[in-house]
Formats: sequence, C-alpha cells, structure tokens
Amino acid sequence: MANVFLEWGTRRSHRVTFYAAAVGLLIALPHVMPDNYWLRIYSMTGVYVMLALGLNVVAGFTGLLDLSYVAFFGIGAYTFALVSSAQFDVHLPFLIALPAAAFITMGFGLALGSTSIRLSGDYLAIVTLAFAQIFKLLLLNLDQPVNITGGVNGIFGFDPIVILGWRLMSPVAYSYLIWGAALLAIVASWRLKKSRFGRGWEAIREDELAAEALGVSTTWMKLKAFAGGAFVAGATGAIFASFQDSVFPNNFDFPQLVIVYCMVILGGLGNIPGVILGAVLLTVLPEFLREYGAYRMMSYGLILVVLMAIRPQGLLGSVRFLVKGQRRPDKDETGVLRASTDLYYGEERKEDETSPLHSAGHRVVLELERVTMAFGGLTAVQDLDLRLREREILSVIGPNGAGKSTVFNMISGIYPPTEGAIRYEGRGINGLKPHQVARAGIARTFQNLRLFTKMTVLDNAKVGQFCRTRAGVLSILFHLPRFKREEAETEERVREILALFGARLTGYRFDQEAQFLSYANRRRLEIARALATDAKVLMLDEPSAGMNPQETLEITGFIKELRDVHGYTILLIEHKLNLVKTISDRVIALDYGRKIAEGTYDEVAGDERVIEAYLGRKKTQTEEPEQA
Amino acid sequence: MDILSQLPQQLINGLTLGGVYALIAIGYTMVYGILFMLNFAHGEIYMIGGFAGWWVLHLLSSGNRLVMHAALVIALMIVGAMAVSGLVGVLSERFAYRPLRQAPRMNALLSALGVSIFLQNLVLNFQGAKPRFFHVSALIPEGLRVIEVGGVVFSFMRGLVISVSFLFMGVLTYVVKKTKMGKAMRATAQDIEAANFMGIDTDRIIVMVFLIGSALGGAAGTLVGMLFTQVDYYVGFQAGIKGFTAAVLGGIGNIFGAMLGGIILGLLEALATSLFPSAYKDVVAFAVLIVVLIFKPSGLLGEPMREKV
Repeated sequence: MANVFLEWGTRRSHRVTFYAAAVGLLIALPHVMPDNYWLRIYSMTGVYVMLALGLNVVAGFTGLLDLSYVAFFGIGAYTFALVSSAQFDVHLPFLIALPAAAFITMGFGLALGSTSIRLSGDYLAIVTLAFAQIFKLLLLNLDQPVNITGGVNGIFGFDPIVILGWRLMSPVAYSYLIWGAALLAIVASWRLKKSRFGRGWEAIREDELAAEALGVSTTWMKLKAFAGGAFVAGATGAIFASFQDSVFPNNFDFPQLVIVYCMVILGGLGNIPGVILGAVLLTVLPEFLREYGAYRMMSYGLILVVLMAIRPQGLLGSVRFLVKGQRRPDKDETGVLRASTDLYYGEERKEDETSPLHSAGHRVVLELERVTMAFGGLTAVQDLDLRLREREILSVIGPNGAGKSTVFNMISGIYPPTEGAIRYEGRGINGLKPHQVARAGIARTFQNLRLFTKMTVLDNAKVGQFCRTRAGVLSILFHLPRFKREEAETEERVREILALFGARLTGYRFDQEAQFLSYANRRRLEIARALATDAKVLMLDEPSAGMNPQETLEITGFIKELRDVHGYTILLIEHKLNLVKTISDRVIALDYGRKIAEGTYDEVAGDERVIEAYLGRKKTQTEEPEQA
Repeated sequence: MDILSQLPQQLINGLTLGGVYALIAIGYTMVYGILFMLNFAHGEIYMIGGFAGWWVLHLLSSGNRLVMHAALVIALMIVGAMAVSGLVGVLSERFAYRPLRQAPRMNALLSALGVSIFLQNLVLNFQGAKPRFFHVSALIPEGLRVIEVGGVVFSFMRGLVISVSFLFMGVLTYVVKKTKMGKAMRATAQDIEAANFMGIDTDRIIVMVFLIGSALGGAAGTLVGMLFTQVDYYVGFQAGIKGFTAAVLGGIGNIFGAMLGGIILGLLEALATSLFPSAYKDVVAFAVLIVVLIFKPSGLLGEPMREKV
C-alpha cells in the first residue's frame, strides 16, 4: 500500500521542503521546552526514536524477532563507557569512540547472527533471549575477578564530548546531537526501505522460501538486517551513555526491550512514520500518567495483546488518509462505469494464426542425470534423466504424488538431491542454494502460490530483480549514481514485464497489494515475478490451477508466447492435459517417482503405462486420459 | 571437594530440578505441538502457581500451626495452584491466543509476550516486589526432615517434589496414551484440520491442552515454592526459559521428549553447580538451549520438521 509520505518524499522540491521543515523544527523545539526536565524527556524521545528505528529494521522490515536487541544497545553503551572513562583510563575522543562503539556492536551482531540466523521465528526469539540473559549476567558479574563492568554499580563519569574543539555540555547541545542523529536514522531507514534491501527484507518477512527461490540471498540479507539493527543500537547506546553520564545493567534489561518493542508494534512493524510516532507516544505519555506509573509495564503487556488482536498493523498501518487514493477498476477515465466483463474479456488478444512456427533448439540447457531424491524411507524421485532443450516447452505430467514438484524443488535447490547430477548450461548446479540457482538463470513459480501478499504488485516483481542488482549499503544510504541507475532500470524492466499481462497487472494495479488480486491474477503475478529475475529457464508449477476455462485458454496462449516471442525455455507441471497438448514440444510422464514415458504428447498419451497410471489397469486405449 | 563423592547428592538434586523442569516443559510442548506457538507466558503461569500455593498455605495456617493435617494442606496447595494456573492458562488462550489462530506466527508470539509482561506486572502490583516465604516447617513430618543415606542428604521436600512430579508424568502418559481424550489430543497435534473434520472439537482440545499444561506448570510453581521456601513475581522468567530449554532438548512437540529433556537438563545443571561459580549456573541452561537449537533443533525425540513446498 503506497504511502503518501513516501510518495511525497520522492519529489525533489518536496524533499527539500521536508528536510528544511525537519531541521527548523529540531532547532526550534529545544527552546520551547518549559524546563530542563522536559528538555531531558525531549532528548530521551530522540534516543528512543533511534532505538525503535533500529529495531524496526530487524523486526519490522525483516520480521526477525530479535530479543537480544537491547543487549546490543548495552554493548554500545558499555563499549563507550570503557573507552571514554577512568575505568581503564582510556580516553578516546567522541568522534572515535562513537563509531568504535557502533562497529564493535555490529561485530557482536554479526557473530550472534551468524550462529542463530538460520533458526526460524520462535527459535530465533528464544535463542536471542538466552543471549540477552547471558549478557545481563556478564554485566552483573564481571566486576570480579577483574572489575570490567562495575557490576550492579555500573560505570559513570565519562569524558565530555568534544567535537572539533567545541565542548558539548548543555542540555540543548545534547538535544541537538541526539535529534541530529535521530534524523540521520530516519533518513537512513527511509532510504533502506525504498531500495533493493528494503524489498529483499520485506520479501523475507512475507515468505522466506519464496524470497530465496527468487534470488534473494536470504541468509546474508537477514544477517545484514541483524547487523544493521545492532549498529544503530550500538551507536544509540554510546550516545545514551554519554547523555546519562552513566551506565547500569538495569538500563539494558528485559523491560527496556519490551518498551522498544511496544513502540515499534504500536506504530506498525515496518512503518517508519508509525514507529517514530510510537516512540514519541510511549516516551511522552508516561510522563503525563506518572501517578499511574506502577501500571506502566502492565499496560504495555495489554497494549501488545490488544494490538495483536485488533490492529496488528499498528496505529498508522493502512490509515485512510495516508494511503494513496485508488481509482476504481470498473470506471474509465471519465468516471463512467464499465461492465467488469468488458474489462476482463473485452481486450481479448487476437489469435495470431500466422505466428511464426518456433523451432526448439537442439542445445541442451538443463540436464538431470540419474537424479534420486529420498526422504528417509520414501523415494520421491528415482533415477530420473531429463534433458531440457533451448526454447522448448517440456511438460511433466503424472498423478498426484508422482514426484513432479519434487523435481522442481531439486532443480531450484530447495531439496538437495540424494544422488545424481543436475547441470545447467554445462555447469553442475546441485548443491547451489535456491538464490544461486535463480541467479544462474532458472526461475520458478509455486503450485500453492507464494506471493509476498502484503507487498504491491510492482514491489513483488521488483523482488525478482534483486539478484540482478548490486547496490550496497553505501550506494543506498548516499543515493550514489549506481543506486539511482539500478533503481531506474529495475522500475523500467519490471513495468515492461508486467505490461506483458496487459491491464491485469498494470495501471492502478501497480500499487495494489498482492493479497487483493484475484486468484488468476495472483498466478499471473507469480509468473511475472519469475520473469523479473531475467531467467532463461522458467519452471511453472501448475500455472493454470484454479483458473476457469477462459483464463486457462489465455494463460496457455501466454505461455506459448513466452517461448515463441520471448525465447524462454519452459519446464511445466500441469494437470490440465488440454493445455499440455496445446503447447508442449515434449512430455514426460512420472509415476511413483519414475519416468514411465517420454516423447510427443500423442506418444505419451497413447502409452499404456501412462494410461494405466491415470486410469488404472483396465484397458481403455482408445480414450484419451481426461483432466486429472 | 571431590566431584565423584558429590555425585549421588547431585543426582538427587538433579532429579528434583529435572522433575520440575519436566512439568514446566510439558506445558510448552503440548501447546507447541498443536498450535506451533511458543507460549511465552507459561513461565508466569508457573509463577502464579507458586503464589496460589503460598496463599493456600497462608490461609490454612494460623501462626506456625496448620489448621488441618499436613498431608491435606500439601494436597490442597498443589490442587489450588493447579486450579488457579489452569484457569489463567485457559483465560489467556481464550482472550489472547484464540483470536490469533489464523494470524502470522509472529503476532501470536508477540501477544504471548504481552500476556507474560501483563501477568508478571499484575502480580507485581498486587503482591508486591518482595518475595513471599513459605513457612514449610509445619508441613514436614517430624523425623523425616532430613534422611541421610550414606552421606547423601535426602530432604523430605526433595522426595515430595520428585514423587509428585513423576506421579503427574505417569498420569499424563496414561491420559495421552490410553484415554479417548488423549487420542483426540494426539490426532489434533498431527493435523488439526483433519481432526476437526473427524468430529473432534479441536477448540475444546486446545482448551484442555492449555488447562493441563498450565495446571502442571502451576503444580511445579508450588513444588518449587515449598522446596526453596519462597516465591516472587520474577521467578517465572528463569523457570520459563528452563522449561522451554527442556522442551527443545527433548524435541518440542513431543510430550515424552519434554519429560526426558527436563530430567536431563536438571541433571546437567546440578552437575554444573559443582563445577562453576554459582553466579553462572543459569548459563548452563542457556548454553544447552543455544547448542541444541543450532545443531539439532529437532531435539532428542522430535521429528525433523520440513516445510511443505
């Protein structure tokens, strides 16, 4: 769902106004605070905004429930404490201590992440919680035998911040430092979100396996999110330590974690304005409700439960005025209603009788040699040989459970085959991770639709381009030329691909979330997403499942066009044999994991073993097997 | 001190802890087995069980004397704790988890985190931050205070904890394996939809699972309260992690794995206390947890989970 603010922020003049307004506000605000107490609250709000934005990268964008986040905040703070205090008599200048704290914390994040990142959901949560507890135990107990952390008493009395000879002491100066850093964090979040990183993270959050299969290096991206969150937490920790002029284990305890989580969730996971609002609300509101302070944590617990039940998208998620108005599909430009059938069947493509007969090449693109996949005692595929030639449509048919999808899963690297070799363009690809297979040029769709349902049509397709783009963190954060060029190319490429599907995936649909598409359109978007990886070989797993006869005809024509006009090589699983008959150059029939027939459609359809597999032993040679 | 000579003693201590961890782990594993949800609040349910047991003891004693027979008081403490914890568990399922049955798993997990924080602070607000002390001396029959066999100290309370926890495990095993409801539970755990179509009221089964798991957690809370003679609002956190570790160690979703995992974790921890400074004794559980999750997330008895593509 497109956000007006985000949309708005992309136009240059508006962007300048936005930054000017933000800077003006940040300069003015400290001077309108009634007293030093409120000035302090104001600065703490900035600290929480940074903390919440960092957590938002991990938990919001990427969906990783990282419960050691506040420990990273603590590592940053204690690192700063150790290098700019009398504790070890190390006195680094602030401009070195701050990045040191941030990078050291990021190092911890990477180390912790690399051990635990492949754990899913709840497991990751509990392991990170255990790490956080160990961290707290260490803080409390590392005052002996050598006093490192100061134990319960913490560490206090830090060097004053000196930046370019200017001593930063007054509360107002601190508020400038903190909110300046917070502004940087806001801009950085924004830029990350609207980049290949942001889309990759969101794809992981929505469906990790699909993201991986589309070429997103999920492990690496999750690690980056983890490290990024740790970096922000570490930097914030250093600033916080200096601001408070002391660090105690209590500052980095479980309740603190809960507070930051509540901020992010209240605003809406992944929603940047929302998270900022959440941080401001939960820092300022308790000040007004101080007499009920005892109930603060209790109400945080309730907030979490109630929000999850009635508004899991947070306060600002899908708020009407923040969402760009969408044109109704059934009205034309003048606002006149059109019949929906017009819209969907009116622009029927003319059957091009004279389309040049394509010719499948002879070169073998993809080759499976004696491939076997066994799950424990069950052999799903056995000794399968398969050759896919250039610009060929090869259909794999067979009864349910014959091992068709397993073949796809082996080729795309989801299941490593137990035995045998898979070669693509002469290169062995077994053992490659799914994202590497996608990058090599083999893309797939899923039988049971695995779209990124909360992402827009355009963004779904853009995820496909992830593996074709290279922009790194610095390119993205500083909007370097490479980033701008790649974004423009991605946008163009993706629109080009979606245009292949006509009005069904273009125009107002660009900004529609995938979850609101019709079933047939979701199937189409899955194909578009696979095309967007710039693959040469497409593996389509039941592309017409759930489509009505009209739609099936159309998708049949479309798949044919993909080969004839665009030169794709296609491996197809399909149960609708009419479709298979119309477009296949060759057909392979599987039964109980073995290849039972191979050849043209007619050869395979006439094969006794195939008929037997579909219809049973009774002789029905003259009949064609019907749709399974 | 010689570690070997301490071994029998540590074995007893380990079995005591292990029985308790197993009782807690069962609650995690039963819920996880059906809903694939980590019930973060389970530790608090254990803690509430401790408080419930304290209140029963408090109400049934005047001064240092009990108003009825000690055995009856102990039984009532355990039953009371199970009732209160069971109720809290069922209520949390009804109001915090059931609305999220279809939601992404992260939402349910966050909701559970919310329940945990809510319960912990609820108790903090109404029972205070100071620990409540169990005046157990009247509960222990004269002459059985400490039994010493060949240098091994076997306190009455340890005996009680071990026998009660193993009794409950036996009863649960019977219920799950031999009764109609147990069969329904196993069916629901395997495939909730199919169980539903076969006429099993899966909502009711889920309520039962929360009831049983929470009740056992509550019993564990009260047993530990009697053993260490105190309870406070914060004990649920550590106990929760220990119980979860035990569940994971045994193979989450597998009830017998939870029992086995609990006992092993208890023994490991007892051994570790004789090797490391006591400040770090909790690190053992965390380390076990991390190592198991990273190297064998399916645990000792669990089946490897594979996502259907």
